[in-house]
Amino acid sequence: MMRAPVCLSFAAVLATAGLLPICGASAQDAYTVGVTAAMTGPASATQAPVIEMLRIYVDRLNAKGGINGHRINLLIEDDQAEPSKAAANATKLVRQENVVLLINSSFSSTYGPVIAEAKRGQVPLWFAGAVCPKETHPPKADPLLFCSTGFDFSVDIPVAIKAIKEMAKGPVKLGLVGIPVPISRIGVDTAEKLAATLGMETVDKEFIPPTAADYTPFANKIKSAGANWGYAYAPWPAEAKTFEALRRLGWTGPYLAYGHIQAEDELARIGDPGLQVFMANSLFQDNLPVHKEIRDAAAGKYQFPATYGTEGWLSGRILEQILTKTGWPASAEKVTAAMSSLNLDTQGIRGGALVWTAENHLRTKQYYRFYHYDPERKSVVRLRDWLEVDVTD
Amino acid sequence: MSLQLVANVFVLTAIYALVSAGYVLVYRVSRVLNLAHGELMMIGAYLLVSTASVLNRDPLVALLLAAVFGLVMGIVVYGALMRWLTGEAVLAAVLITIALGILLRGLSILIWTSQQFYPAAMFGWKNPSVHLLPGVQVSAASLALVVLTVVVYVGLFVFLQFTHWGIRMRAAGQNPLLAEQRGIRLHAVYAFAWGLSTFTASLAGMLLSLDSGVEYTMATIGLKAFPAALVGGLDSLLGAVIGALIVATAEILAIQYVNPLLSDVVPFVVLLIVLAIRPWGLFGSREQLDRV
Repeated sequence: MMRAPVCLSFAAVLATAGLLPICGASAQDAYTVGVTAAMTGPASATQAPVIEMLRIYVDRLNAKGGINGHRINLLIEDDQAEPSKAAANATKLVRQENVVLLINSSFSSTYGPVIAEAKRGQVPLWFAGAVCPKETHPPKADPLLFCSTGFDFSVDIPVAIKAIKEMAKGPVKLGLVGIPVPISRIGVDTAEKLAATLGMETVDKEFIPPTAADYTPFANKIKSAGANWGYAYAPWPAEAKTFEALRRLGWTGPYLAYGHIQAEDELARIGDPGLQVFMANSLFQDNLPVHKEIRDAAAGKYQFPATYGTEGWLSGRILEQILTKTGWPASAEKVTAAMSSLNLDTQGIRGGALVWTAENHLRTKQYYRFYHYDPERKSVVRLRDWLEVDVTD
Repeated sequence: MSLQLVANVFVLTAIYALVSAGYVLVYRVSRVLNLAHGELMMIGAYLLVSTASVLNRDPLVALLLAAVFGLVMGIVVYGALMRWLTGEAVLAAVLITIALGILLRGLSILIWTSQQFYPAAMFGWKNPSVHLLPGVQVSAASLALVVLTVVVYVGLFVFLQFTHWGIRMRAAGQNPLLAEQRGIRLHAVYAFAWGLSTFTASLAGMLLSLDSGVEYTMATIGLKAFPAALVGGLDSLLGAVIGALIVATAEILAIQYVNPLLSDVVPFVVLLIVLAIRPWGLFGSREQLDRV
């Protein structure tokens, strides 16, 4: 059997050429879990670190004897964030590999075909590290769809806009930043509407194509529109590059962005106190035991900085609890039932437990911490401790 | 148009012109449309990441080494791949470059992962703003890119006009059979053209990475520079500069006055318009195009 890291490496090359290998061999006495993820392609910078860490977590579980005495057979397929490839992956995993659980970690454009295939096969589908579709939201979540991803626009945007209102010392002229993908556009448009209800003016909103060779022209528009606050809801490169371009143009305002997995290292690199992030996962600077555990697990095995691994580690812990509760023998139906009553101690990665119920497959409570870089202490510091938000509808 | 907008146009023109130079060099000499040029540019930037990780205390050595690797990369690509297609249909060579691009994307993830790298941070550089005029600022890396683009184009002009190798290169491009009969070693000339092409692409990739980092998607910038080369005329370096200026101006104006979402589309709209009116580009050679 091909070793997983080597197989992943081959996957990176072969999947790019459209040849998609399956990593790991199916075994009748193992929990078979399928993953379709953007391991390569435009979304891979955000998704691959999540699935890589999930794989490391599963390898550790298997090394300890698996769950309930059975190994986990994690089948990772690369979809390159392309719907057609994701559809083919889902079909293969559900129909040929008979997975008891399907995981999607890719662009939202892949969701349609993957959801359809999961429903045809009556296999639970879990979105890990990717945008949470509205079907996972309360009050009436789809019975088969679940999401554990830290960010969710329906909760993030109101929190961010209210935070800007609270932090602002005077009238706010908002410059909004997104990219032209549905979730970012919806997020930015929602932010504009919410800002208006709170008496803040949106003077410019930019949807910046990720292929832009230079972010300065977009930043120039925001600056020349007179924005005195910036807010970005986009993948990290777009959030950070726009901020840096704004600073190079001499713009001095504060700028709030969602803190994706790259945020901790990036805040330190940029070293600007005006760049503030809010995020659902704690940073390694909080120095919790779980962070040390992640760092130790990542050493020598993880292709990314250990700080990128939090979401993937949490996914591993979620998977562990789901399969433990499922028992043996496993079936998609039993896994779905286990997922519908998840109650996970996140060990400080999040502000509280991650709870899924029959009606709420997103989380019952969402928690946010705010961070920025402190030039005096020369480190990333917490601006605001856990802010608790009820996720009820 | 404000002066800042003009500065933005110049920076984007420099990016597209520097990338386009590589398309033109290869096409002009060997008639091959190198569709892996964006990926080669990205690899050039990644080479800087590698040299910077080892030589982060010697930035100039790291930059120089990466540039040399960029030159060697083109020669290796020619020797390992393109050389064997000599005498075959041009289309076969173009298809090989597409395959090469796919391979390079895969290799880049295998070697450097999909993580974003910042060579400037590895050197401890800050990339500050440079005030050109009151109210007009560009980043230091962008300014360096503009200056380097001018240096590269002046250097290429001098090289092609006044040096033996440059004259050989032009001769090989104009009439390969006659050039070979006159004792010019075509494979050496082609290999050097590929080397120069990847050298300029690597310079572009390196400077872009110093400005805003490098990741897997950088290759698409190469694709966006392609219309600039075509608009100007694929066998004209002057055309590449003019084409880059036209495409960059259209793109910046679209961002500023119409819709930022058009920035991806505008270069290709300009390309379609120019190709409809003058299929061989503004400064391209009609005869050359017919031969293809």
